[in-house]
Amino acid sequence: MAKKSVVTESHEIQLSIELIKLGARLQLLESETSLSRERLLKLYKELKGVSPPKGMLPFSTDWFITWQPNVHSSLFINIYKFLQEHAHITGIVAVVKAYKLYLEQMGPEGDDEPVLSLTRAWTLVRFFDSKMLSTACCTECSGHFVVHQLDLNAGYTCGLCHMPSRAGKTRKAKEAAQAAVAMA
Amino acid sequence: MDTNVMMAEIRDANLGYLMLAQQMIRADKATAIYRLGVSSGIADLIAGLNNAQILKLSGTSMMLARFRFEDGAILGMLTNYNKDRALSQSHAAILMAGQGVEEIA
Repeated sequence: MAKKSVVTESHEIQLSIELIKLGARLQLLESETSLSRERLLKLYKELKGVSPPKGMLPFSTDWFITWQPNVHSSLFINIYKFLQEHAHITGIVAVVKAYKLYLEQMGPEGDDEPVLSLTRAWTLVRFFDSKMLSTACCTECSGHFVVHQLDLNAGYTCGLCHMPSRAGKTRKAKEAAQAAVAMA
Repeated sequence: MDTNVMMAEIRDANLGYLMLAQQMIRADKATAIYRLGVSSGIADLIAGLNNAQILKLSGTSMMLARFRFEDGAILGMLTNYNKDRALSQSHAAILMAGQGVEEIA
């Protein structure tokens, strides 16, 4: 086993703190840092005041294909790729920075919680690395969107150019619209 | 608008732009590169300017920052009121992030 370095450890603790604050699950922390599970548990409890959620991480690639998650994950992956290509950063640093930019894009007035959680974003990047997902170019707006690697994507149009008829019309959105009318 | 006034305004805008860009790059280079849409070479260049150089550079009669929307699609999306605002903004952001950056040869 490599010699323990105090400096590296403090860096990793800093990173873990940042990740926990952004809402990372314990599995993410375990695979991105070399801190022991006990220490991560302690850190998590100290920061959040509750035990970390148990159970497996979501593992389906299908979630990223459904309409609303697809828009959000496409936005995230575009930012991530931009940072990789032009700012030359990689790994978890790039994921964190891209995620922060994504949150910003969602805006402070976005009343509902962001669709994509940090853990999901990280999973998305891993799916890209393992070539389970990739991006397809929309034939109308020429933006890049998340699709299954092995789907046939000739003449692909994105969910934003061709909105499904009931997309985004949730009960929540309806209530918000009614509230806006009532306010006026 | 009087030409002299316009020149002064341009210089002001240039100065503001350069100072802001420099601050952004010094604070967090990667994020600044995304926000400004410039290459990492240009980012280094701007971050390395001293105050005298910034003043000199901003004193030209041309705008230093250029319009970033190269195709009408993104611009139309950002200014279109028909769609849900948050949605069209995400769409525009997806397209913008897919674009290249301004580079120096």
